[in-house]
Amino acid sequence: MPQLIINKELCRGCTICTRSCGSDALHMRGRLAEVNDNCILCGICVKSCPFGAITIEKEEKINTEMDAYKNLWVFVEINQNRIAEVSLELLGIGRKLADEKGCHLVAVVLDENALLFAEDLISYGADKLIVCNDKGIGIYAEESCAHILDDLVEKEKPEIFLFGATGVGRSLAPRVAAQAKTGLTADCTVLEIDGDTGLLRQTRPAFGGNIMATIVCLAKRPQMSTVRAGVMAKMEYDRTRSGTIQKVSYQNQLPEAKRIILETSFAPKTNSITDAEFLVVVGRGIGAKKNMKLVHTFAEKIGAQVAVSRPLVDMGYAEYPKQVGQTGCTVAPKLLISLGVSGAIQHLAGITRAEKIIAVNADDTAPIFGISHYKVVGDCVAFLKEYTKD
Amino acid sequence: MKTIVCMKQVPSSNEVRLHPVTKTIIRDGKASVINPFDASALEQAVQIREKLGGSITALSMGILETAELLRDGISRGCDEAVLLSDCAFAGADTLATSYTLSLGVDKIGDFDLILCGKMAVDGDTAQIGPELAQTLGIPYATDVIEILEVDETKITVKRGIDGGTQVITLPYPALITVVKEIQKPRLPSIQSIGDSLQKEITIYTAPELGADETRTGLNGSPTEVVQTFIPENKVDCVELTGSIAEICKSIATIRQEVK
Amino acid sequence: MKYIHPISEEYQEYLKDESRTTGNANTISFPTSEKEVVEIVKHLYQNQETITIQGARTGVAAGAVPKTGHAMNFSKMNGITGCTVENGRFLFGVEAGHSLIALNQKIGTKKMDTTGWSQESIAAFHEFLDAPMQFYPPDPTETTCSIGGMVSCNASGARSFSYGSVRNHIDGLRVVLADGELLHLKRGQNFAKDRVLELVTESGKQIKLDLPKYKMPTTKNASGYFVEDNMDAVDLFIGADGTLGIVTHITIVTSPLPQEIWGVSCFFASEKLALDFVIAVRKEKENIAALEYFDPNALEILRIQKKSGTAFKQLPEIPEAYVACVYCEIHTDTKELAQETMFRIGAKMKATGNNPEHTWVARNDGDLKTLQFFRHAVPECSNMIIDARKKVEPIITKLGSDMSVPNDSLQAVVDLYQTTLEAENLEYAIWGHIGDNHLHVNVLPKNAEDFYKGKELFKHWAKETSAMGGAVSAEHGVGKIKANFLEIMYGKEGIEEMRALKQSLDPSGLLNIGNLFDVEEVAK
Repeated sequence: MPQLIINKELCRGCTICTRSCGSDALHMRGRLAEVNDNCILCGICVKSCPFGAITIEKEEKINTEMDAYKNLWVFVEINQNRIAEVSLELLGIGRKLADEKGCHLVAVVLDENALLFAEDLISYGADKLIVCNDKGIGIYAEESCAHILDDLVEKEKPEIFLFGATGVGRSLAPRVAAQAKTGLTADCTVLEIDGDTGLLRQTRPAFGGNIMATIVCLAKRPQMSTVRAGVMAKMEYDRTRSGTIQKVSYQNQLPEAKRIILETSFAPKTNSITDAEFLVVVGRGIGAKKNMKLVHTFAEKIGAQVAVSRPLVDMGYAEYPKQVGQTGCTVAPKLLISLGVSGAIQHLAGITRAEKIIAVNADDTAPIFGISHYKVVGDCVAFLKEYTKD
Repeated sequence: MKTIVCMKQVPSSNEVRLHPVTKTIIRDGKASVINPFDASALEQAVQIREKLGGSITALSMGILETAELLRDGISRGCDEAVLLSDCAFAGADTLATSYTLSLGVDKIGDFDLILCGKMAVDGDTAQIGPELAQTLGIPYATDVIEILEVDETKITVKRGIDGGTQVITLPYPALITVVKEIQKPRLPSIQSIGDSLQKEITIYTAPELGADETRTGLNGSPTEVVQTFIPENKVDCVELTGSIAEICKSIATIRQEVK
Repeated sequence: MKYIHPISEEYQEYLKDESRTTGNANTISFPTSEKEVVEIVKHLYQNQETITIQGARTGVAAGAVPKTGHAMNFSKMNGITGCTVENGRFLFGVEAGHSLIALNQKIGTKKMDTTGWSQESIAAFHEFLDAPMQFYPPDPTETTCSIGGMVSCNASGARSFSYGSVRNHIDGLRVVLADGELLHLKRGQNFAKDRVLELVTESGKQIKLDLPKYKMPTTKNASGYFVEDNMDAVDLFIGADGTLGIVTHITIVTSPLPQEIWGVSCFFASEKLALDFVIAVRKEKENIAALEYFDPNALEILRIQKKSGTAFKQLPEIPEAYVACVYCEIHTDTKELAQETMFRIGAKMKATGNNPEHTWVARNDGDLKTLQFFRHAVPECSNMIIDARKKVEPIITKLGSDMSVPNDSLQAVVDLYQTTLEAENLEYAIWGHIGDNHLHVNVLPKNAEDFYKGKELFKHWAKETSAMGGAVSAEHGVGKIKANFLEIMYGKEGIEEMRALKQSLDPSGLLNIGNLFDVEEVAK
């Protein structure tokens, strides 16, 4: 059975590992660290030890069937008759990785009207499309999609399979991964190919974004990730590119869906903070709820929309669709004015694509200033009162 | 009506910092709590039971200490609690965890509905729900924001989708993952805490579950963390100074410049 | 002089504070260091100009509202200047304008900007990093307040029930006197002899002070100068409403953060049952850090706000059978002790005829936040009511009392409040620090007549609570708004002694005029 090993020669008794442990599994016995049954083998301490004294011992995983897996697949979402932006971004990063690996980039499109998008998908980087345009198929026929993907993965054996970290991707990808009994890394923000091993290095935020973790999938294929929207760059549209199309059909071959979809409705696109060019983002520094009035007056004055950080949604200052950050929306305005937001990592993850950021915060050491172009150290309420006074 | 609520033990704070000298990660290990999403799932289960009767079983995989967390679940309304605990489960990623949980569900048996939090606040993967459902071979719905109808045979939920919502009916047995906002968890009382201390927590080990140990814990986990680091963001930052009025003027100018 | 700006349109904000009264000033400054403070003070001293000191302007007694002259605002002095370890305690040098909320965050996350710190300070800081978690115990409700402001009114909060007021958590002060002389005071180094205190400034100037002879109430108190036989010099400047000198820099002492902080909201079928419980539970107050009360009207305000406002829809549902509430906070180092204390609270409920099922227990940070949200929602909601009524009748302002009485007068003082309020037919809600017999009575005037009736009642209560051996201001400070209560509490003679003391440190009466003493009186 795998276990945590502390090398007694190397351990200097510095106690750093005991404080890095989130499971209360490491304690000092005299000058040596000692592990107990609480250990969940999370590996944090291995990285925390300055002396390299901690290792995790486990059996080597060898899977000889892995060589059969080739090519990089991207699951393309057609949502409301458009290619989801994240799918194009996946093709962008997929193109780069496929070139490094010297393999094909395959776009998997399951949609009644899939062929309408073929040209665009190839122009955005795909070498090949696998298309199923059976009647009634689409991303919201999730159970059918899952069956088709399970079958395709088993038959075609992709080496890497990427999904957008969208509602659909985060529901569908785990199911496909569980069926293939392979690993899945959620919500990646960086994808690279390891030069030595050729493995996909998947980097994602953990602990609410306070730690970044790089993850690999060693002995199972495909290597699967969901990728955060708005992080990867899509390719320049290139009409000269060419590609092939493989059509598949599962008509009358799929088990009947168990779920009954009664209604699918989309909120009107207007006023979405995701598309705003000018955005005011408010955080806890705003103080009392009554100050939100000032915020709206200010936003109106400069022609901006209003968004908030997570605590304000928790406190009921605004509704969830207005939340910016890792668990809310990713925004990309031309100008973002951040008021009283300290800038927890998960919040920063949602605003890094803003072209210009002005941050107002009373705390000079607030992390928000680390990614801001202009900073004002001071009370945001006083600022708002001044700006909105006449 | 028999419901199972999956619960994860998470640290009460996600704060981390760098040791100033060694530059390694320190987490100042804080107390463990029920993952807030799971707490909302439990409250939802309690409200379903208030309507339809039946029982709620809390299910968790973790170290023995996790029993205390399940006891907390009992003080908030669970009838029974099952903990899956074994050294063989350590180091599990989502695939190995969902396999192990599926064995626990089989052991509890004969359930109608499983509720999970949408995700855990420490891992943020949101994968356990769908992976568990797939392993059990039952239908599921993720991101549920509201229960519209529930009876002895099926449940109708409203779930969030990209850019909208969807209403779905799931026949039992089924699994749903819920957002934190679905219900505000109630607080236990001195009385219910006292009562929970009298309750027995059922603990199952790997052999008792008949687990295939190549599929549990680190052995059964295809993914491996090869590096962790604290992210850093840096851009050149100009400080706007002067009186509030002057600062407002500077900001107005910047606003004008951006077309 | 370059640091001093004439009051123009853009500085109007600095003429008011959270008491919602507006004053007047000719000039304003925002010093960034002790050195600048001294320069400005010396300059103003030459012209004999009065100075009003401002922190975050969150006070409700108008202490930071200037009457005239110069306003000195400390918002730019908001750093931490160093760290020392003494007998295992951590001391931090904090500039007066530093906000409490930012201080809590820096201590809680152990993240501080150490640029410019001495070698010793940085070494001490590293020790702090490796030490068990610390916290700063004083917890006034308004966390955006400045540390300087907390010192000037000897602030306290719910946890003062076991930790005491801010005074107990300060090790030193740096003070600039009215003429620009500097006093660097450290606790334990300079004591009065009986009621005579001798101070030596940094430049060597000697000042001999005759301290007032009055006896202070033994209750929680932030009214007038703190004096007692053989007192520490540091204590004189804490709670002095900024009238004796300008505190620029405070050495605070942190305490080890209790491993377990639990909250228990207990609900009662009547106010009488709640008071019986409080009296019973504080006989064995071990591990109980706070006891906070919410009367039936306060709970009713919450029920109404939960239905109407989105911000408060997250409040837990309060069953109609829950008529009054006492919030208990438990601080211990082990779960076992916390649990034991919780069951003790449950037993006391039973013993006083109440039901331990009628409780909400928070055993982790998340649940604790729910209870704290509940607790802070009460003043917030009542402010909203006042703001709405102010729109119709502009004269209406917040009317909140801040009086404390000794333990044996708790029932009597609640009776006093109720009978007089009912007699005047006023709308009100009572909440606050019942553990210290320190309840905030908030009159919610429906019109101007109610407002004046409320003000009269406050004067009446000041007399009655003083007679019970209480204090007219327990935590807000006297400021300008409650200056007239001070004489009720200490009598004419007490006020004369205080004035004499002020005169020995500030002969021309330049600092914070209007605080503690009526302006007209100072002039004579």
